[in-house]
Amino acid sequence: MLAPVMHSRERMNAASYDQMLLWVTLILLGLGLVMVYSASIAIAEADKAVGHQSTYYLIRQAIFIVVGVMAAFVTFQVPVAGWQKMAPYLFLLGLFLLVLVLIPGVGRNVNGSQRWLSLFVINLQPSELMKLFAAMYVADYAVRKAPQMDSIVKGFLPMVAVMVLVGFLLLREPDFGAFAVIAAISISILWLGGINVKIFVALLALLPVAIYVLIVSSPYRMQRVIGFMDPWADPYGKGYQLSHALIAFGRGEWFGVGLGASVEKLLYLPEAHTDFLLAVIAEELGFVGVLTVLGLFCWIVIRAFGIGKEAVANERYFAALLAQGLGVWMGVQGIINIGVNMGVLPTKGLTLPLLSFGGSGILANCIAMAVLLRIDFENRRLQKGLPA
Amino acid sequence: MAYNPIQHHIVKLPSWRRRLLLICILLGFAGLFARGIYLQSLHKEFLQQKGDARYSRTLALQAHRGKITDRNGELLAISSPVESVWASPPDVKITATQKVKLGQLLGIKSKEIDKKFANLQRGFVYIKRRVSPDLAAKVMSLGIPGVFLQREYKRFYPAGDVTAHVVGFTDINDKGQEGFELAQNALLSGKAGSRKVIKDRQGRIVEDLEDVKVPQDGHDLVLSIDRRIQYLTYRELARAVDLYKAKAGAAVVLDAKTGEVLAMVNLPTYNPNNPVNIQGKTRNRVITDVFEPGSTLKSIAVSAAMEFGDFKPDTPIQTAPGYMKIGPATIHDTHDYGVLTVAGVIQKSSNVGASKMVLSLKREELWSVFNQLGFGSRMDIGFPGQASGRLRPYKSWRPIEQATMSYGHGISVTLLQLARAYTVFANEGELMPISLLKIKDAPVGHQVFSAQVANDMKTMMEQVVLPGGTALKAQVAGYRVGGKTGTAHKLGPTGYEKDKYVGSFVGLAPASNPRLIMAVMIDEPTTGKYYGGTVAAPVFSAVMSDALRMLAVPQDAPNNNVVIPPDVEDVKEAI
Repeated sequence: MLAPVMHSRERMNAASYDQMLLWVTLILLGLGLVMVYSASIAIAEADKAVGHQSTYYLIRQAIFIVVGVMAAFVTFQVPVAGWQKMAPYLFLLGLFLLVLVLIPGVGRNVNGSQRWLSLFVINLQPSELMKLFAAMYVADYAVRKAPQMDSIVKGFLPMVAVMVLVGFLLLREPDFGAFAVIAAISISILWLGGINVKIFVALLALLPVAIYVLIVSSPYRMQRVIGFMDPWADPYGKGYQLSHALIAFGRGEWFGVGLGASVEKLLYLPEAHTDFLLAVIAEELGFVGVLTVLGLFCWIVIRAFGIGKEAVANERYFAALLAQGLGVWMGVQGIINIGVNMGVLPTKGLTLPLLSFGGSGILANCIAMAVLLRIDFENRRLQKGLPA
Repeated sequence: MAYNPIQHHIVKLPSWRRRLLLICILLGFAGLFARGIYLQSLHKEFLQQKGDARYSRTLALQAHRGKITDRNGELLAISSPVESVWASPPDVKITATQKVKLGQLLGIKSKEIDKKFANLQRGFVYIKRRVSPDLAAKVMSLGIPGVFLQREYKRFYPAGDVTAHVVGFTDINDKGQEGFELAQNALLSGKAGSRKVIKDRQGRIVEDLEDVKVPQDGHDLVLSIDRRIQYLTYRELARAVDLYKAKAGAAVVLDAKTGEVLAMVNLPTYNPNNPVNIQGKTRNRVITDVFEPGSTLKSIAVSAAMEFGDFKPDTPIQTAPGYMKIGPATIHDTHDYGVLTVAGVIQKSSNVGASKMVLSLKREELWSVFNQLGFGSRMDIGFPGQASGRLRPYKSWRPIEQATMSYGHGISVTLLQLARAYTVFANEGELMPISLLKIKDAPVGHQVFSAQVANDMKTMMEQVVLPGGTALKAQVAGYRVGGKTGTAHKLGPTGYEKDKYVGSFVGLAPASNPRLIMAVMIDEPTTGKYYGGTVAAPVFSAVMSDALRMLAVPQDAPNNNVVIPPDVEDVKEAI
């Protein structure tokens, strides 16, 4: 195993890792930290539970980022082959944690969702880790079952069974957003892995039906959808959060009202530092800020797919599918979160990857980016004729 | 390990699938890009307007309303700060116990509070207006989010119902409704300022959106009223109205030299501090009501005859046989007085005598006197609801009308017009303009009568209060006074009403050098006594006796000058 530090000596020839991708990641983390602080000051000051401490969320987010970067550094040392070997076991660990979080007394309930496990000082959100484990597991599955990918019984149904199980556990919390992301990752990897087109089309056709059933079956999801359809119909009730998010966009115009000058964050917009961080970015930094975030996410997605393509060229299929799966994760979760902020998608409990406040999310995102960087790192070594 | 993950040779990853998926994701981002532009540039006005509706507030900065004082600086109206409790329903978070306490503090039922908070579309509802600062502080100490205070001013009237008709009152929005509060509302209220701010959800002001418009405080108003004389007048008028069970009463006291109104009292009155059930009580009758003055006009008509005709105070007039026919109509005296001097006509209030004198004048001569005295036209006193009275053009006068006008019939005036007309007798024939505001310099008068005529009439009017006159009860200890009584049937919708009278008295004091002029009117006394000398003259006497001493006016008569024969009734004047 080779540490990246050792390769800094080779910088003269060609970079041994994707420096640009690393910078994009760090810029997003840094922007997130600044905006989490800006968005959370008023919330923290008004909250007795956090001791009216204006830097409460800033300090925690900074710690999360430090821990996340350290975890990423460790992750980077792990060869992709190692992840492939561990994939089924990590997936089982993820399932175990998802079961654990549902056990009353073990899982912690916040705002009616049982999503957190209390581990000494930190609260772990298993669904965030599950996104990573699912990407690894499905990538490994697709590679293992490559010959049976045309078969419904042998290739497709086992995966459907697994997904139904994961979906069942996640919706018990409930965490519809995480399930949507995991489903998107899984379907994308199966698609890339060569699943039969007819099966895939059938799956896509079934998806709207499934989503409809899920929405109608749960009153809280129904409320959110109604609020999303026309936030101005009931702007102080169902449409409250979204209407405030939209106002934030409108106030931001092209260049924003200036860092720190958001009015929406002054307790009008709920979840300003987590799910609705982008609305605060839009208000304070304007469309320029929004465009920056969109651009950086596009960069990550494009690079992930590029890294996947290079891995294919090296006949490293697991790495290829995993890289693209991670890209889908960042892209889809970003699109959903931003779409929710802009009122084109119904409200879900999904954060903006790498930016929003949240320990498990930051940790999982950092690890994911490290895995992506590692895949690229190994690609480059193989191209130079070095062992992965 | 039984499980072998590496199976390179059979894996195929079609690159078109990768490209299609990537394009789908990028299309997603492109859609968001377009949506962002829409929200942040095309749709921004709508969104910003919605935002303003949520958290921008225009705060009214109330100007301090000017105070109203009497001529000596005594307060008649003053604004003091109070708080109004209001709420922004969408921001209100209230617990059940807080609601109970809020209701107890403000005396509102929980149901009503719920109703006020239910209207989520509105950002501003009053919970209770105008509570004391103490109570407001208690309400705020409940710490209910979304409940706020607004500084307002409440008007207080220290003199209450005594000055109600002059000062008037304001409504809950600090806008003048009556009296000077209405007449000078613009001057008193100043200009309210405003401040447009953004507030955070807890109601704290975050920033100003525009420049603050600073309120301009209103100006103070100094009235000509002397609060002490106003009180006196009120007390005595109230006593008379009560004693004779009159429907109403009015009195006005003028500074004889400057024409300033020192007191203006009306009954019934009301409490301007709490103006409820004030229907019919807010009329400032002195100014707004016209009446046929009766014989109080005789002194003026006779002066006109002396001015234009060949009459002296001792010119004899034949009044026998106590009545006189003019065409189909007859003018009566109460008795056959026989031959009276001009002074006697005034003292006995002889209608026949006065009519004979006036009929010797040209119509336009009498009209011109009345017109110059201001009958039939409004005064320039800046007060609402002023009546002009009625003086018909002389071309339409018939002889009988010219005759009856000599004793105040067929002409209608306000009490203030009548009082002002008497300033000619205090100023050697000059009429003084009336002012309800304190004035610095003595005003310029308008010569109506020659000094000789005015002084002669003043002397003759002193006879009226002496034995043999109609107003013995107008006498004032220590001072010589003069005046003229008036008693008239009220004018109803179908002509004169038989049993309804107006008793009046207009006088000046001290007669040697008049300082005060007072006109009193008692409307519809119901105890059977209604002569001006009986119901109105005592009010004059009581007010003058205290007011002259209060103003330290030197006495011009020995202290024992009051001569009221015990058994002698007042001379009944002709009506």
